[in-house]
Amino acid sequence: MSLVIIYIFMILAILAAIFALECRRLMFSIIGLIAMNLFLWVLLLTLNATFLAWVQLIIYGGGFTALFVVVVALTEKQRDESFDWKRSVIALGIVAALMGVAIWAVTASGLSVTIGTSTIGDSLRALWNERLTDLILQAVVFFATTVGVGSLFIHHKKKQKKEAKA
Amino acid sequence: MIEQLHLLILGIVLFGVGLYALLGKRNIIKILMGIEIMTIAINLVFISLGANSTNEMFTQFAQIFPLISIAIGAAVLAVGLAIAINNYRHAHSLDTDEMATLKR
Repeated sequence: MSLVIIYIFMILAILAAIFALECRRLMFSIIGLIAMNLFLWVLLLTLNATFLAWVQLIIYGGGFTALFVVVVALTEKQRDESFDWKRSVIALGIVAALMGVAIWAVTASGLSVTIGTSTIGDSLRALWNERLTDLILQAVVFFATTVGVGSLFIHHKKKQKKEAKA
Repeated sequence: MIEQLHLLILGIVLFGVGLYALLGKRNIIKILMGIEIMTIAINLVFISLGANSTNEMFTQFAQIFPLISIAIGAAVLAVGLAIAINNYRHAHSLDTDEMATLKR
């Protein structure tokens, strides 16, 4: 793939991220998020990180998007009207300063190596040898899911108690 | 071949966009989107750094760490969205300034 196309994809990924955050309609924001994930999927494929590219597309582009759609539908708030100029300008200033420092640090470090030699085999071998890694991973996922689902039930029980009292 | 530097700058810019959402937005769904974008940016930086590293251990974990990060990101998002729904049921708003009412 031509380098120009890859750079165009990089710029499009940034623009899609900005669109996702600045669009007033939440459903369009989600579409922006999907677009960003698609552009990054192409970038990861060009870096030979095929496995991760597909995992990211399935989990971020599919699963997370479905979660966002369900929550937006449940909350019935289709528009984001809470725009605060003062807060946005201060945030933009802080982010610009941090980004400036970070980009300066990266360019000053002299990294100019060309890339594209990562292999999936090494990573999968490491994942298989280090069983502890995925055990910790499973524990985190189970814990978080329990907390999330539990919080919904607690709220439901409180509501039922209030109704019974009334 | 893409220059590693350009990918790192892409990662920094995406992280900045996510951080802007975290600091400047009041809608909880937008904030969660920002967190997601920041996670993706970190994953991209890991992949770009590990792709041509001579350190074997780092090369192995360059793709493993983003996998762990994605799983933890999923957990964070699940909890965050559960809180968002609870807050909406409680205060009929997705505004983070209204979230103090969850304590009551």
